[in-house]
Formats: sequence, C-alpha cells, structure tokens
Amino acid sequence: MVMILMKLSTILASTLTNRLAKLKQCKLDAKREQWLSQVKNKGCKDESNVKTGSSPSPLINPNHERDHKSSKNLETRSRGEDTCLHDSDLEFLTNSPTNSVSGGKDSRKNRIGSSSSSSCSGSCSGSVSEEEDDGCLDDWEAVADALTADDDKLQNPNSKPPSGSALNLGLPNKECEIGGLKPECNEKVPNCRAWRPDDAFRPQSLPNLSKQYSFPMNADRRFGLGGVSWGCHSLISQPSSCPLCCEDLDLTDSSFLPCLCGFRLCLFCHKRLLEEDARCPGCRKQYDSVIGGTGINGGAPKFRLARSCSMSTGS
Amino acid sequence: MQASRARLFKEYKEVQREKTADPDIQLVCDDTNIFKWTALIKGPSETPYEGGVFQLAFAVPEQYPLQPPQVRFLTKIFHPNVHFKTGEICLDILKNAWSPAWTLQSVCRAIIALMAHPEPDSPLNCDSGNLLRSGDLRGYQSMARMYTRLAAMPKKG
Repeated sequence: MVMILMKLSTILASTLTNRLAKLKQCKLDAKREQWLSQVKNKGCKDESNVKTGSSPSPLINPNHERDHKSSKNLETRSRGEDTCLHDSDLEFLTNSPTNSVSGGKDSRKNRIGSSSSSSCSGSCSGSVSEEEDDGCLDDWEAVADALTADDDKLQNPNSKPPSGSALNLGLPNKECEIGGLKPECNEKVPNCRAWRPDDAFRPQSLPNLSKQYSFPMNADRRFGLGGVSWGCHSLISQPSSCPLCCEDLDLTDSSFLPCLCGFRLCLFCHKRLLEEDARCPGCRKQYDSVIGGTGINGGAPKFRLARSCSMSTGS
Repeated sequence: MQASRARLFKEYKEVQREKTADPDIQLVCDDTNIFKWTALIKGPSETPYEGGVFQLAFAVPEQYPLQPPQVRFLTKIFHPNVHFKTGEICLDILKNAWSPAWTLQSVCRAIIALMAHPEPDSPLNCDSGNLLRSGDLRGYQSMARMYTRLAAMPKKG
C-alpha cells in the first residue's frame, strides 16, 4: 500500500510539474523523518528499506500541502505507514521490484475502478486500503483524477513522459517514471498493442527490456486465480471478426462471451442462432443450458472481461 | 444472404492463401457463382480409395453458415455412407451436427476421415454396408478398390 501511495504520489508529482520543487522538499523532509523513525524503531536492519520507504513521504506531502493537517496527525499516520511499510517491504524485497510496482499499480486500478479486490491478490493492498480509508479519501480521489489525467496523456504515444522532471528528482524519480509508464504498458497488454522493443514510437524513457519481460510473469503471479490476465489472454486470442458472418466485432461484440467454451461471435449471429439452432458453434452445447451455467461460473469471466475493458478505456 | 457471401468470400481467400497447406484437398469456387464449389480430394492412404481422386460438389445455401452446405460425390465411390447413384453423403456434420464454425475446407477433411472410417451401421450404400457388417472386410475392400480404379483414377492409355 505504501508502495501504491508512493507510486501515486510520484506519478502525481510527474504530472504536476509545477509542484515539483515543493514536493521534492517535502519528500526529502519526510524521507529523513521516516528514516530517522525507522532507524529508531528497527535499527539499521531496515536501512535497505529506506530507499523504497521514501515513497510514502510524497503521499503524505500532498495531504500535508492541501489539508494542513496537524503535525501530530501526520506523525501518527506516517507511523502507521511505517509499520505497513515494513510488511510490504518485506514482501517486496522477496519479490522483484517490478512486482511492487505492478502491485501498486494494480491496487490503484482497483481504487479507480472501485472494483472488488477479490481477484487482486496484490501484495498488501487490502490491509492498507482499510488503514487509509478514514483519513484521506478525498485526496485519494484527487490523486486518482490526476492519475487518470496522467494516463490519458501517456496514452498518446507522441507525448513523451516528463523525463526532464524525472531527471531532477533522482532516484525516486526513476520509480516515478516506471510508475507512470507501467500503467500504460499494463493497459496496452489487453489491447495487444504493447510497444515492441524495436518500435520507433516507443518512448525512450520506457522501462528497459528486463522489466518488460518480467511484467507478464508478475501479472500471472498477481492474478493467479485467473483475474485480469485471464481476460488479457482471451482478448488477445479473440478474433477480430465474427467467425460466422465475417463482420468486424465491435466493442459490444468483443465483450460478449455467450458460451463458456470461449467461442465468440457477433450478437447478430448469436441472435440468428438462437432463433434456429441455439447451440454454440464452438462446442455444440445448447446456449440455454450454457447460459444457465453462466450464472454460476461464467459470470465471473464476463465481469472480469468487462472490468479489463473498462480499465483499458477508462483510465 | 450478405453474411453468407461475406463468409464464403473469406473462405475463398483463406483457400487461396493456404493452397499448399493441405495437399489432399483442392477447393475451387465456381467462376460465376460463389455458392457453387467443387473440391478434389485424394483418397486416404491405406484405404481402398488410395490413389484415387474424388470430386465433390458443394451447393451452399444462402443461410450458410447457419445451414450446412449440401455436398455430394461427383465421382463414383463404393462406400457405405455414400449413395452409389446420387453421391449423397451420410455424415452427421452435414446434417444435425453441423456447426457454423465449420468451413468448406473442414467439411472436406471430415469427408476424407469418413472415407477412412466408414460407418456401416447407417448405410446409404446397403451393399457396402452389408459387406462390412457381415465382417467381409476383404469383399468390401476389393469392391471399393475396384470402383476407385474405375472411377477415381486417370484412365490408362
């Protein structure tokens, strides 16, 4: 969660470039404060965490900036985050850094889409979100808005991410860069339009190859139960045109999964089939019985699919 | 109407593109009517039809692919599931087991599979079916091979 906050804040920082200087200052302060508290609490053992631990500070900063909350409040919160940070950091340390990034991103998505976090087995997002619920929801929404704005900007392959600002901020900015760009990679995956390494339009500041390669693996691990990654695969493998009438599948058609076997067809052909044969062309099962099963089993894939679609279009 | 035409056109392009993919099947569309196709299929090896080339005629309905194409042998063939005179084929996927996901190409493959694995229990050619059902495999094979030579092989000389 802290990582998520960090990502959010860092992304926010990348978008709101005019705030950069202030943010930097706040970040440094908070970083020092946190580092001190960490050293106090846990000794030097956690020093390695501090680098990533610097992340929560930017999160605090916007709150601090906007709300002018009492320093006491801030302190308690930072302390709470600290404990959370240790948990998450332990997990992150065992996993790869990109995992933390994607996990953070994922829960960010969760927040934005306000979808259930059941399919998201991302690191410690659940506990963290509970922790954060009371304090700064408003800020979260603002952050989310900024994020979507940021993503929209990034969606355009021509608009380069603010690499200049990234350079200014040093190490945390590297992560900011990743955090800012990762969502794009993530969203591209369902569309099967990720940049190829040799793509001329690929922004230079895109994460390097190893990170890109590691991403799908992380996705699989994160959604071990077949969450969004399931949707991604089906989206990738789905035909672009209806196999029966050869008309192009529009958005409604491509999110239409009438049968559990995964055979897709356009709504028009499906209706014609229902009038005549009412059996799935893929598996020859009766559509009626299949639909009966859809309520139990098939509902989830549908839901996930819709979610992945909303993810790709919404943010 | 339009859907079937688009679908057939796509299949036509697919056939042109993968002409060499299946050397046992040669699907040709009628020059003037996309609803009329003919296919040349090779008799599967290790069957009495080996070495023969059999011509199939496709009549595609306008409701295709919701309705199956009507396929019949133009070449005489001695097979339990093919009517000896009309060339009508008794094959479930051409009747009630048809799926719109099938294509003309896959129908050809299914017919080749049927040639290799006759179903004597639902015969259209009772003579052939009776031979197989009575266990006279040799009789069936010799008859089938004879008709293959007579009808499905290029005439010598």
